[in-house]
Amino acid sequence: MTRPSALFLPAAPGIPEQLGTRADAEALTGALARAGEALASRSVLEIASALGRVGLCFLDPDDPVRRKASEGVAAEAGLSAEAADAIVTGMARGWTPEGLGRMVRADFPDPLVLDGFRPAGFGGKLRAVGGRFALHIGAGSVPGVSATSMIRSLLVKCPLLLKPGRGDTVLAPLFARVLAASDPELARAVAIVYWPGGEGGPLEEHALGTTDRVVAYGSLELIRLLRRRIPPATPLVAYHHRLSAGGVARECVEPVPEAGTVLRAAARAVVTFEQRGCVSPRIIWVEEGGAVSPPVWGAQLFDALELLAAELPPGTESLPAAAARRQERERWMLREAAGTGHRIFSRSPGGAAVLYEPDPFAPLRLPAAGRTVVVRPIESLSKLPAALAPGRSILQTFALAAPPGRIGELAEILAATGVRRVSSFEEQSWPPAWWRHDGTGPLHALVSWTSAP
Amino acid sequence: MEHPLSARAAGTDPEIVGRLVERRAPLRTALRDAMRPGEERLRDEGEFTRLALEILAYQMDANPVYGAFVRHRGIEPRRLGHWREIPPVPATAFRELPLDGLDVRPVEAVFRTSGTRGGVEARGTHRVRDLSLYHDSLLRSAGDLLGLDPAGRGGGSRAGRPLRIIALTPSPGARPDSSLAHMLGVWMDAWDPDGGRFLADAQWRFSPAALRREVRRSRGEERPLLVAGTAFGFWHLVRELRGDPLPEPPAGSFVVETGGFKGRVRRVSRAELYLGIGRAFRLPSSRIVSEYGMTELLSQFYEPLLLGGTPAEPSGRHYLGPAWTRTAVLDPGSLAPAGEGEAGILCHIDLANLDSVAAVLTEDLGIAAGAGFRLLGRAEGAEPRGCSLAMEELLEAGRRAGR
Repeated sequence: MTRPSALFLPAAPGIPEQLGTRADAEALTGALARAGEALASRSVLEIASALGRVGLCFLDPDDPVRRKASEGVAAEAGLSAEAADAIVTGMARGWTPEGLGRMVRADFPDPLVLDGFRPAGFGGKLRAVGGRFALHIGAGSVPGVSATSMIRSLLVKCPLLLKPGRGDTVLAPLFARVLAASDPELARAVAIVYWPGGEGGPLEEHALGTTDRVVAYGSLELIRLLRRRIPPATPLVAYHHRLSAGGVARECVEPVPEAGTVLRAAARAVVTFEQRGCVSPRIIWVEEGGAVSPPVWGAQLFDALELLAAELPPGTESLPAAAARRQERERWMLREAAGTGHRIFSRSPGGAAVLYEPDPFAPLRLPAAGRTVVVRPIESLSKLPAALAPGRSILQTFALAAPPGRIGELAEILAATGVRRVSSFEEQSWPPAWWRHDGTGPLHALVSWTSAP
Repeated sequence: MEHPLSARAAGTDPEIVGRLVERRAPLRTALRDAMRPGEERLRDEGEFTRLALEILAYQMDANPVYGAFVRHRGIEPRRLGHWREIPPVPATAFRELPLDGLDVRPVEAVFRTSGTRGGVEARGTHRVRDLSLYHDSLLRSAGDLLGLDPAGRGGGSRAGRPLRIIALTPSPGARPDSSLAHMLGVWMDAWDPDGGRFLADAQWRFSPAALRREVRRSRGEERPLLVAGTAFGFWHLVRELRGDPLPEPPAGSFVVETGGFKGRVRRVSRAELYLGIGRAFRLPSSRIVSEYGMTELLSQFYEPLLLGGTPAEPSGRHYLGPAWTRTAVLDPGSLAPAGEGEAGILCHIDLANLDSVAAVLTEDLGIAAGAGFRLLGRAEGAEPRGCSLAMEELLEAGRRAGR
């Protein structure tokens, strides 16, 4: 696809088929703003249930929508059918009426602030306003990010022009089409148009210049470019690329690998988004002094990854990705041969690899995406800040396998280091719908407040 | 910081080093012979394999890291029967391991890759122990494939009048770590009776006005121009000229584009770049030759364009190397040769890399084309990205945290 290419346009008079001119762009954003006016009188809780009912179709294995979603994601993102299915399930769990209700209440203990002025406790009144229309820009290839972003915007009653990432053009349009059948009024507040970043012509220019808010997912470079292009008074909600990692306390280094729940969960966290997600653990620190040494734990993690491949086979890999991965594995093999203490655990080049790095505090180096994870030893997890410090501004989820008695203290340390979410390995890939996305309430980030006496 | 392996690899046992020096001498002689003008013996697969395997056996001893790597893979050099079986080191390993081996000769130059991807500490480093080998190799390759006199006699141009060589790069004096600047300096010494001219400063900046003056001057002298520079340099020029082309260059002039965006983000296609260069210099694309070289290799590959050996249309061109090189296109999964007409990763065997490692696995993608290859692009940054961090971003974040 090149130039603006409409994936979903609201069915309303005056919506242009072509999106190549300034007039088309103005017509589209005008129609979105009008659709927003219709939403103003609806209750947020009712909107949440309307969206949640659509979300349920994506969870039901017998629903044709669900099948279409899984097939589309597998084809687009180069994932195996099983892996794509797991992603659709994981994403859709957050899209249910229950999940969306929780998301709203987590950010707005009194959700009715989205419907009108409400007593604010200090004498005055407050109202949360989503805006006339927002521009949401997805980048990259994690399926479901754009759809979730769309749902969030609708929850705050803000129409949106969504430009999904190149590898994420299936779920959001599919969701919007199902929504159009059940709630056309709500669906009129959605336009989904794809263009390669920077090549959106008048539509991109106009949307960036007139939107009430830009929400962007992508590289630091994308965020930098956007900051330069949007008017200074327009808020930018930036979800830039992030680094997630993990740590295993010595008490959780299991003596019997076959029964290893931590190992299995860590393997699943690696596999779920093929290490492309901002929640994917790229580096795992293993505390010394456990039942097995950190390199042995690395070998066991590799076995767990191999086992998991039967359930979630790896997808197809582009040639450049395969080349980058080969380069990396050869380099690691050279290190291993050179006797630097590095180890590589891998069998087939397209399969998983665990790269063991003996220095806990070596500069943070990221392995190529795909089923590759770096394991490092650490004398004590309390020394993690020294290892994580260079990543301070970009840290996100840290999966922690530790006894309950140590989690509180370690979470404090991690919070001070810049980590925005501490989870278990089991939950690492699937933050709850209400999570503080990159450290901020996901719906809070999409509203402005108006106070009144 | 010195890599922990440096001490080990620097091995100074005079007896061991002495034996290696003796073993190296005949190999250097064989290479010198192979690089003589007109000498093509190594085009023969058997001849090439024989010398390549001798060099492999030597490198395994002269270079303990590489030796360990080969043995680690269970490979016994004596059992190999073809150059294709020689295990390559990944090009990115030049960033972190000492691949120049033991001190058989003092290091004469240290070239570094320009990529910012890995930050300064992670730039590829090629410590060159024998610059004369580099010079022999580069003069013969450029001479043959650009139609110049490989011996450097008569001021270069076979068309008659001596060449005027202009580089849109810093001089080797300004950037002693640039193998490209070094190479262009050798060209100028060999083929420009006035010694040529480097236009860029140490930060690779140059003024298009200076180039304009040089073109005018060469017109006055009626000497064909050879303008060499990186892709990024030419693109900068094209943008700076803003559609106002340079004066028409004298007949016989040509441009050599050496690839490379010097770590900058590449936002322009090759077709677009060549169109721009063609307009700027008022030259047809048949006078714009691409050179493919790497800091990690002491030999270069060229499009045999000026010899009529490849189409002028940029997307249909291919590269050829000198007789002491081979390029294999490999399947990234199996490292077996890619199928006929299929894309794969490029693996070069460059025997001029006598003092480092001859077999280098690149990150470049290509397709075999006759005795050479077509370049498709580089693997870096092309992998599917989600919202997970890329290496460059991590480094950027780290720099901020450290400030």
